[in-house]
Amino acid sequence: MSTTPHQRRALLSPLRLRRERRYPELPNGVPGEAGTPVRASSLWRDAWYRYIRNRAAVIAGVAFLALLAYCLVWPLVSPYDPYEVDFSQASESPSLAHPFGTDQFGRDLFTRTALGGRVSIGIGFAATLVILSIGVAYGAIAGFLGGFVDNTLMRILDALYGLPYLPFAIIVLAIFGGGNFWTMVVALSIASWFTTARIVRGQIITLKENDYVRAAHAVGARWLRVLGRHLLPNTLGVLVIAVFLELPGVILGEAFLSFIGLGISPPDASWGSMAQDGYRAYRTSPHIIIVPSVAIAYLILCANFIADGLRDALDPRTRET
Amino acid sequence: MRITTRALVAAVVAGSFAVLAAGCGGGGAGGDEGGPIDQVITINWGTEPPSLDPGLATDTTSADVLLNIMDPLVKLGDDLEPVPNLAESWDISEDGKTVTFHLRADGRWTSGDPVTAHDFEWSWKRTISPDLAADYAYQFFGIAGASEYNSCKSGCAAMRDEVGIRALDDSTLQVTLTSPQPWFVQQAAHTSFLAVHRPTVEQFGDNWTEPTNIVTNGPFELARWDHNSRLDLVRWDDWRDAGSVKLERINGRMISEGTTAVQAFEAGEIDMTAGLPPEELPRLKDTEAYSQYPGLGTYYYGFNVEQITDVKQRRAMSMAIDRQSIIDNIAQADQLPATGFTPEGMPGFDTLNPDSPWLPASGDIDQAKELMAEVANPKTDVTLLINDSPGHREIAVAVQAMWKQLGLDVTIRQQEWAQFLEFLGPPPDASVDVYRLGWIGDYVDAMNFLELWTCKSGNNNSNYCDPEYDALVAEARQTADNDDRYELYGELEDKLLGEDGAVPITPIYWYTYVQLERPTIKDSLNVNLLNQTDYSKVEEVEAG
Amino acid sequence: MTRLIVRRVLWTVPVILLVILMTFVLMRQIEGNPFRHSERAIPESIQQNLEEKYGLDDPWYVQYLRYVKGVVTLDLGPSLVLRNRDVNDIVREHFPPSLELGALAMAFALVFGIPLGLLAALRANKWPDYTAMVVANVGFAVPSFLVATLLIYFFAVRWGDVFDVPTSGWESWQSKVLPTIALGLGPMAYFARLTRGSVLETLQQDYIRTARAKGLRRRRVVVVHTLRNSLIPVVTAAGPILGFLITGSFVIEQIFAIPGIGRYYVTAVTARDYSVVMGLTVLLALIVIVANMVVDILYGILDPRTREAR
Repeated sequence: MSTTPHQRRALLSPLRLRRERRYPELPNGVPGEAGTPVRASSLWRDAWYRYIRNRAAVIAGVAFLALLAYCLVWPLVSPYDPYEVDFSQASESPSLAHPFGTDQFGRDLFTRTALGGRVSIGIGFAATLVILSIGVAYGAIAGFLGGFVDNTLMRILDALYGLPYLPFAIIVLAIFGGGNFWTMVVALSIASWFTTARIVRGQIITLKENDYVRAAHAVGARWLRVLGRHLLPNTLGVLVIAVFLELPGVILGEAFLSFIGLGISPPDASWGSMAQDGYRAYRTSPHIIIVPSVAIAYLILCANFIADGLRDALDPRTRET
Repeated sequence: MRITTRALVAAVVAGSFAVLAAGCGGGGAGGDEGGPIDQVITINWGTEPPSLDPGLATDTTSADVLLNIMDPLVKLGDDLEPVPNLAESWDISEDGKTVTFHLRADGRWTSGDPVTAHDFEWSWKRTISPDLAADYAYQFFGIAGASEYNSCKSGCAAMRDEVGIRALDDSTLQVTLTSPQPWFVQQAAHTSFLAVHRPTVEQFGDNWTEPTNIVTNGPFELARWDHNSRLDLVRWDDWRDAGSVKLERINGRMISEGTTAVQAFEAGEIDMTAGLPPEELPRLKDTEAYSQYPGLGTYYYGFNVEQITDVKQRRAMSMAIDRQSIIDNIAQADQLPATGFTPEGMPGFDTLNPDSPWLPASGDIDQAKELMAEVANPKTDVTLLINDSPGHREIAVAVQAMWKQLGLDVTIRQQEWAQFLEFLGPPPDASVDVYRLGWIGDYVDAMNFLELWTCKSGNNNSNYCDPEYDALVAEARQTADNDDRYELYGELEDKLLGEDGAVPITPIYWYTYVQLERPTIKDSLNVNLLNQTDYSKVEEVEAG
Repeated sequence: MTRLIVRRVLWTVPVILLVILMTFVLMRQIEGNPFRHSERAIPESIQQNLEEKYGLDDPWYVQYLRYVKGVVTLDLGPSLVLRNRDVNDIVREHFPPSLELGALAMAFALVFGIPLGLLAALRANKWPDYTAMVVANVGFAVPSFLVATLLIYFFAVRWGDVFDVPTSGWESWQSKVLPTIALGLGPMAYFARLTRGSVLETLQQDYIRTARAKGLRRRRVVVVHTLRNSLIPVVTAAGPILGFLITGSFVIEQIFAIPGIGRYYVTAVTARDYSVVMGLTVLLALIVIVANMVVDILYGILDPRTREAR
């Protein structure tokens, strides 16, 4: 399609958005990335075009998919058993046989990193989704109902805002007595959904004041329907961006907690707990800390550029000049 | 006018200077390096000592400090025999139940008061008293009337007078024991048995250990204590034997992270550190600064015998462990592969050690498999409970791999320390099949190790309970003669790990202590078997 | 404006009470015995003596009320683990290093981050932009423990003679340089990205175009109009980040052996030192609350539109 930027902006103008009656479900989370053609919605189609114009975001997206593929597929086809201990091969530097070297137990780090990635990315996405679900539910109820309910919920939120996030995560992990996948998810999300709740509430309130919502309400649409049809879908873009904005924080949080020894139980590992193993050996075998740390950095870089790309694509006002 | 790129870059650079300038305002601290033989060393205590009150201290860091600022009745010699210190001699009665210490006359508190037998009586009773609620009050439970006084609800004052600790005069301290305890004199070297200065404790209450308040009676004085950061000692020149003390000052940092401590040592910021990460040992072992001492401790795995009920399975699991490989590849400090529960170095070791057939140093996987095949109803899903400190995790991973060869599916359950202890019990949580633990001697007698496995022991987390074992322990307690007692200890070891042993535990190795120390520090930053360093014997000499 | 401030300050009271209650409830869920620190068992009678001494045998509401009373009278009670000290001592000794570290890292982040972001925005899609953004993105993405490790290795160990910075500690100003950078790098990168995005957005606003069209000098436009308005998101983010820097620095404190509150907090939770954990959580919450409050107030000053909305 050959539209000029000007035309595209016109297409994306708020008025045009509001006229859209139905929005399709997001195809697999990230618009367009799954490669499915985006039907019917000029919003998503347009966003897709914007996105693929952003070179950094495309590279990041491809890099991210490559990482996912590596983490999911490599452990299945790897010639090495990631759990087998063989001290005769311990702490080897990167080589052709072991591109990332081996750890203190002689386990292939290229395979372990893929497994660690499953855990870290899994925890990251799971915690992010929990954060967003709670945040959206809370924010939507507050913003939508308004008045007394809104006031109460927001005051409670003010109180919760005071909870320091990592210290609380530490307490939660102590309650569970140690880390595994789900305790990490709970610990990381329990004190970090407050910002999302605020943002969603703000969005809902702004949208609620908009003419088309008032109009919908005036013509007799029930609030629930308005909420489902108009308000939440309009917040969806913000939320998709939020997934990738939250992700780095959660991944780093997981890494910090693992690094101080509150991570998941062996022989499984996350990138954070692998880095903890490597930290104590860094003088003799620096690759054991560098590999998982670089993996963390790689993932965060991807998430950042994807978030930037999505924001530019979905929210044209902040587009780069 | 346009803003040029150069101007913007300049702004960034200017910013960096602002930060530097702000940083400079922090003020400098003096370097401690100084001249070549200034008799000042900087050490690493490892952690903050939780308490410098001898009545309340329970940990090794506090003990490290206390044993250098206080004057114990006896010290332990190279073979852990009691050596006269503040007590110049002692007598033990015929029946072994009364110990009388004779104190030197020249002991002094830093306040100028003499150190008397009354100080010890008051201090020990203070530790036993329910009011202080001291963890280590039980160290005194071998003394007549102590445990009754500790749990008194009423009439405490009368019970206090019943406790078998009596200062007959300023220099004579008489202790009445519940049974003959040949190890009591060595036990008196423990920090719990130090005296405190009564007027100071009564004046300042809980804060009496702060540097401005504390009154001590040892070779060094507490000069500075910045909590969690620094604790410095200086030589006390009025100590009774100050002439023999070479060091003038011991500056102490508190660096708990082993990697950080090694870096600080290599950068010349500290002259000594223990707590080296095992991963660093291969690199450090070849350096001049590395030193290693045997320790009186056992690292072991315990079986929950109610879960893993078949002794053959326990024996098979025990045999499958390649101890030497764990030592060489993970622990890395030349620990000794255990051949019994009581560690080498313990008096009577040669007599009591069972040389267990179930603890082959490099494992015996073939025989283990044979044994395993004989197990009628093996428990193949095994949960191994460990706490989350780094070293344990790695050993657990190795053991997991070794047991996998027996067809066991081992789940490692890693818990942080306090929760881990809750799960251990005793009795242990039903979900626990195997657990890891260590035991480090409090005092120098195998009783301290072997009484763990009596039915009622608070440290027996294995559910193992054998009345015959308990009877043997009771008999050993009443046996004053060393050789006879060691024979009994041998029987106890056999019951645990001998040919027909029940194998409720499988010891992995006996501890060593490793540290880095400047070659310019002469004799002895030596730690003894109980991991104690006596700084009054340390001297700094010229390099080379 | 005054009303806004008074209201925000008053709001902290119920907020603190709620935080105390939540921490109290959570702490009671944690299994573990504050008096047992080693594998050595504690005899029953001694355990009872200890619980009696610290009032742990009282019903929970008695303990809660006693605690609230303690907070009100600024006496946070004795530590259960460090037997000769109380929580007030611990706060007094360990809080200043954390506060200083957080403040230095924050200053570092702002002083470098904002100019970097501005540079990138004003030279968007040119080499200064690319350079700045590579720095910012990498700085944001690399975990601070790796940054700290590398900084220590190169500047304190490998080239220690040249740079004269110690590997650890928190005494001389030299010892503060590396931890500040290690902790501040992430937020610096974040501020740079935020500033860049915000400035770019502001530059497109109508009033900036108007100002430019009016013929105002570019520097004036940038400094007076653009920067001021662009800093709003930075200020908004600064509050939580400052809170995070002070409460979340435990990894850095651990690696550099800094006697700060973060390092101590982890120790206290592990040791089940209930009174210390309670005291420190309340304190950390207070920091976060105050940081947020300051942001709200600053926000009101920077953006007049929000004043009435509240």
